[in-house]
Amino acid sequence: MTECGPGLPEADALYVFAVCREPDPAVIADLRGIATGAPLRLLRFGELAAIVQTVRAADFTDEAWQARMSDRGELERYARAHHHVVSAAAASCPTVPLPLATLYHGEERASQALFAETERFRAALKRTTGHSEWGVKVYAGEPPTADPEPGALPPRVPDTGGGRLRPAPGAGLAYLERKRGVQARRERRHEDALRSAETVDAAFQKVAAAGRRLRLQPQESAGKGRLQVLNATYLVGEHRSAELAELARALRASTGTEIEISGPWVPYSFVGEV
Amino acid sequence: MTDLDLGREAYPIPGPQNTNLADILERVLDKGIVIAGDIKIDLLDIELLTIRLRLFVASVDTAKKAGIDWWETDPALSSRAARHALQDENRDLRERLEALEAKSDEKTAS
Repeated sequence: MTECGPGLPEADALYVFAVCREPDPAVIADLRGIATGAPLRLLRFGELAAIVQTVRAADFTDEAWQARMSDRGELERYARAHHHVVSAAAASCPTVPLPLATLYHGEERASQALFAETERFRAALKRTTGHSEWGVKVYAGEPPTADPEPGALPPRVPDTGGGRLRPAPGAGLAYLERKRGVQARRERRHEDALRSAETVDAAFQKVAAAGRRLRLQPQESAGKGRLQVLNATYLVGEHRSAELAELARALRASTGTEIEISGPWVPYSFVGEV
Repeated sequence: MTDLDLGREAYPIPGPQNTNLADILERVLDKGIVIAGDIKIDLLDIELLTIRLRLFVASVDTAKKAGIDWWETDPALSSRAARHALQDENRDLRERLEALEAKSDEKTAS
């Protein structure tokens, strides 16, 4: 980890947001970036240009980031500021987003490092130009039901041992049967949810140039009582993006799940190694 | 919901204002083309600690109660892994039930 020594309190660092092909300097100049003070500008390297901002190195050390990232409000502020620059750039020219917090000790270092990666930027631009990223989330159709009443007959699970099942002679067996009922319903629900997720994913893959599964989001962001069963994202050609809403509508009807689409996004998920 | 989302986004690229924070984070932290920087920030660590643990694990218990726990394995492998886990658990339960029934039979017989 590079540390900013105590001898260099005034040192500057260069924050890189994205790499573009033929960006419009006017669009960039209007953006605020992640720090107040220095305006955003273009750093040209070869045929490409990076959108950069000069920041105080002392504000962007590893320690500073650690503190910032453990504060939900700060994390949100920086993530949105970064995303805003990337989105604005992408609206005006082909853009490859960099993840949050790519920093260099000055312009020369940045140009060297970026230039060395030209081939990767070129490949990413080639793959994503004319495409957008679309997020697709699927939520299970119904909330989980409560345990059945004690003594209620559990659904039969096939092949439980040659029909030896009798009316519960004791509390222990009744308990086990009840547990088995819960397990069976849980399994059914699980299977249904998995099937729906696979169906939706397969349908979107057909429209998309590429697709990726993202980690499922917790209920905190999914919304109360909603169970997310698919969080995927697809790279879709602009000429096909109009089909997505209708596809979601049809899948919603056929699977009984709730389906949400978000986008178009700058293709963050498809510029790295795929 | 979908129709609203789509209708609201008049711009070619959605602005940050109407976009869910979790959706942004999973893209700006994890994705984008990664190149080596001078100031190295271990975002993976940060993410694991602050996002995956604090935000995500909070609801794992709730979701487990609903029987869905397959993000615990790699999402790409999840369906198969989850099926196997469920089959194992199911078989285990059946065996335990049969063992108990057998004991109960013995008692009735004696």
